Amino acid sequence: MIFDFLEAFNDHVLVLILLVLGIACAAGGIPPMIERNRRRSIENKLPDLLESLSTAVGAGRGLQEAMLDQSRTTPGILGKLLSETLETSHSSSFDASLSAFASKTRSSQVQRVIVLINTAIEQDAPLQNILSDLAMDYERLNDLMNKRETELVGRGILIILFVCIGLPLLIAFIVGLFAPASSGFQISSFNSTFSTFFAFASAIGVLVSGRMLGRMKDVLWWVPLWMASSMILYLGAVKMIGG
Amino acid sequence: MRKLDEKKEILYVIRTLDVLMSSGVGLEAALHTIGTGGYGIISQDFSNLMEKLKTGTSRGLEFEIKSLMNKAESDGYRRLLNTMYTNLTQNTDLIETLRKQGKRMEEDRNEAVKKYIEDLGGVPETLLSIGMIGPIILAIVGLVPQILGDGAEAIIGSIDIAMINSVVNGGLFFTLLAMMMIGIKAHTKDPGL
Repeated sequence: MIFDFLEAFNDHVLVLILLVLGIACAAGGIPPMIERNRRRSIENKLPDLLESLSTAVGAGRGLQEAMLDQSRTTPGILGKLLSETLETSHSSSFDASLSAFASKTRSSQVQRVIVLINTAIEQDAPLQNILSDLAMDYERLNDLMNKRETELVGRGILIILFVCIGLPLLIAFIVGLFAPASSGFQISSFNSTFSTFFAFASAIGVLVSGRMLGRMKDVLWWVPLWMASSMILYLGAVKMIGG
Repeated sequence: MRKLDEKKEILYVIRTLDVLMSSGVGLEAALHTIGTGGYGIISQDFSNLMEKLKTGTSRGLEFEIKSLMNKAESDGYRRLLNTMYTNLTQNTDLIETLRKQGKRMEEDRNEAVKKYIEDLGGVPETLLSIGMIGPIILAIVGLVPQILGDGAEAIIGSIDIAMINSVVNGGLFFTLLAMMMIGIKAHTKDPGL
């Protein structure tokens, strides 16, 4: 069945190349999605952690002790990484384990916070105020990032649906209905031109959608698959409707 | 790209400078801390600045900050450098100004995000409209000789197939270009979160 399907597009080499490339690239597109979810789950919990640390430090506890308490109560990956960090701090310095914690999270937000905490400790700065300010700053930043995500994700999906699926099907319907190959219309070169156009239009649509959400590099992996999909949809629909 | 990077990092740089200087760190040491990394293009600028100061090829911190002001592309970064320059030359209250700037910049960022979301509201429909109208018209142009058959020459005169193909290809290319131009809005107006 797969060979029959592939054979239907024998005249369009670009579809076959993009399909193979797209399937291969899709495997590369999944890890950034998982990594992003992990990173965002850490970043969304960061303000709560900083707020709790600020309260504990304000109550007279040391930062390391406060972190130990929080690592037990913070759910998810942030708490887990924090407790791992504090375990390793027995065999190394607290500063070094904080830096290790920051790099393990792979989040620029956490890394910035840790650099600032380290500097504040070195300079003997008022930690309670700094932690509280940081908590508020990052809460506002995360709210904005989440708002952007929720408001634009629908529009991003809409662009992909319109440009990669709707547009090829619509034109295929028009072409198949008014110039069916079964009635002797010579449309092979026409189809080749239009399917190439839909491939590039899909690439633009996917990239615009990714850029809107601030993750264009991540969606680059999905571009060949969407290009192939829109070409297959167009050519398949023309064949189905026009014969 | 530089402008976007500056916009992305500037608020964090201001907050860090605020924390560092409030706890008694001097301006030069604070710039050195930021120059060690973590703040993208601004870290690079400050690192180059400190390198010049260290090697003795510079006329002084205020001149280096002044020259960075010419390099800066975003308003926020230029304003920060100007505040530092004024502090160095006229001994102004840098910490207070940094706090005010941070607050103002945060408000600007909130506004920019709201505007970005509003501006991109019509992009899917616009992309579909342009992506649809162009190919529909061009599909008709490309199929006219076949649909009308011999009658086509009677209506529109002699038909040059090569010319029709060129018109269709050119039209599709311009449609892609127009779609790209609409998409660029998503890049240029990015609030830099």
